Amino acid sequence: MEFDALERDAFRPRRLHPLTLVFEAIRVARHLVLPAIAGAAGAANDGVARTLAVGLGILAVPAIAAAIARYVSFRYRLTDDDLILDSGVLARRHRIIPLARIQNVDVRQQPLERIFGVASLHIETAGGKKTEGVISVLGRADADALRARLLASRDAAAGAATPVETLARLSTRELIVAGATANEIGVVAAALAGLMQFVEDRLVEYLPEAIDPAALPALPPALAIAAFVVAGAIAVLLVGWILSIVGSVVGYHGFTLERVGGELRKRYGLLARREGSVPLRRVQAVRIEESLLRRPFELAAVRIETAGATVPGQQRNPEAFVPLASREGAAQLVARLLDGFDPGCVALLPVHPRARRRIFVRLAVPIVLVAATLGPLHHPGWLTLLVLLAPAYALAGNAYANRRYAVVDDYVVARDALLGRTTWVIPRRKIQTVHVASSPFQRRHGLATLVVDTASGPRGAAYIKDLPEDVAFDLAQRLSRRVPERPPVPIP
Amino acid sequence: MVELPDAGIPSDAAASPPPAGVDRPSVPGTHAPPLPDAGLRPLDPRVVGYWRIRLAAWTGATAIAAAACGAWLADTLGAALIALAALALAGATASLLPRARYRAWGFAVRQADLVVRRGVVWRTTSIVPHARIQHVDTRQGPLERRLGLARVVVHTAGSVGGAIGIPGLALPHAESLRDQLAALGGDDGV
Repeated sequence: MEFDALERDAFRPRRLHPLTLVFEAIRVARHLVLPAIAGAAGAANDGVARTLAVGLGILAVPAIAAAIARYVSFRYRLTDDDLILDSGVLARRHRIIPLARIQNVDVRQQPLERIFGVASLHIETAGGKKTEGVISVLGRADADALRARLLASRDAAAGAATPVETLARLSTRELIVAGATANEIGVVAAALAGLMQFVEDRLVEYLPEAIDPAALPALPPALAIAAFVVAGAIAVLLVGWILSIVGSVVGYHGFTLERVGGELRKRYGLLARREGSVPLRRVQAVRIEESLLRRPFELAAVRIETAGATVPGQQRNPEAFVPLASREGAAQLVARLLDGFDPGCVALLPVHPRARRRIFVRLAVPIVLVAATLGPLHHPGWLTLLVLLAPAYALAGNAYANRRYAVVDDYVVARDALLGRTTWVIPRRKIQTVHVASSPFQRRHGLATLVVDTASGPRGAAYIKDLPEDVAFDLAQRLSRRVPERPPVPIP
Repeated sequence: MVELPDAGIPSDAAASPPPAGVDRPSVPGTHAPPLPDAGLRPLDPRVVGYWRIRLAAWTGATAIAAAACGAWLADTLGAALIALAALALAGATASLLPRARYRAWGFAVRQADLVVRRGVVWRTTSIVPHARIQHVDTRQGPLERRLGLARVVVHTAGSVGGAIGIPGLALPHAESLRDQLAALGGDDGV
């Protein structure tokens, strides 16, 4: 990493890259000027169009002025311990971000920023509910150097010459597989439901006329409708599937995850390039996610949860996410992240056998309700829904078999499955709070859910459902106790 | 401290045997009855009145809304019946629920953690290790202030247990609890 740019005058206040003005202008344009033009073009009445254009034009003037002011007033400065951000013209803002509190620093490049060779720096700290500081935009070299400086104190502690160990690297082929097998079941189901509704409401009346009887002489209308529905469903599925693949290939292009000393570094993105790093000791939990489509192929994704901000609208951040790994690869990755702990080598214990029945009942109740109301009221054909109870029973059995947990010296492993399967691995020293929760149905059978909470994101808690109540309380008691922090074990 | 029978818990049996002392409590000699009772203390009984007023306000508003809907949909008699039914339901809830809730609530400050139990229907027992406490607040709404009650809210960095509140404490008690927990609170990094 090149330090020279900052080394000479590291402590002097510095400005953003002059191109900031261009990007601010583009931002203003996107928000105001384009709607103005579109509005003007779209408005039928010339007077309305003119008023609209003029109005938005007037709004654009202060916006552009503010953009210029933002550039002119923004300064960033490094001291030995802090990063200091000064901004604002009328209301001055002086932000001090202690370097010790910085969780991770992302260098991000939007497509246009890549063309101009600039980048923005996103700084996240522990406990923040949003990105603590954004420095946008800097020259690429400056951004890299500043990132290195911000993380230097921590790197110095880890030792200067640290080997780079590649944890994961994904080829385009693997990304295609990742996209193809990513869990899009929810989206597909919603799309299918919408389509079904549409067919129910509209097409039933029109179809017999719309379809040329000569073309489909043998098909009775009901079958034609069914064929149409199936074709529509397949089309929706295909489009969603292709979008998922394209999203994966574009979003994660060139995905690399490396371990450099005590730090995790990730790089990916075809259009918008993302580079980030997380100190390994900030890893709160690791989640192995096997979607329905991946389970038969023994494929998984690995989500590495870290403490820090969760920015709405910016997914998969600041956590690191490995979109695809084989099941063994995932376990090995976890082992390299968590001081050699391989969750695959731990015997997982089952929960209470009644869990099977509870899962089945939860699946069966909606099916029976729909069949029992629509069957008599609408059409007896709805009663065929009850056939679904058989797969539901099988699914419940599988879910029960996969609902397992283990508590070992330094780690908690919690696995749950319905269609997909998720395995949590939580270092015990990262546990924040522990809860034992029970519904009336659980209490009737002496069951409870153990909730192991960590400081990672909105879904940062592992749930071990349907444990015997006494086991849940014992585990809660033990897991809430301190496990002494250990120095990270270097991995040969 | 009452030693928990670690050997009786099946989880460790399956894994490799843990090194001695890993799970033993670090501070011996303190009394802590095992969960779920854990020697929990109740809230201030006045909280029942507070909950009752709040519930009555909510359910009363709902009953009025139900009566209005009834008047709009049905004739006067129907409306009166619907209003009566809604009021009866509201009254029953407001009179029975707070007491049940009071019985369900309990908390204890122990050697190494805070235990909070709550919930009539969905019952939750939370354990917040002192080391995980980030900061502690006391809060009072207008009604609580009038009744001399306060809530203590314990904040951790956790995602689902980020803020755990203990309502219905007498203000001086709430303040001393807050100070006690704040003093015990760790400065654990995340």
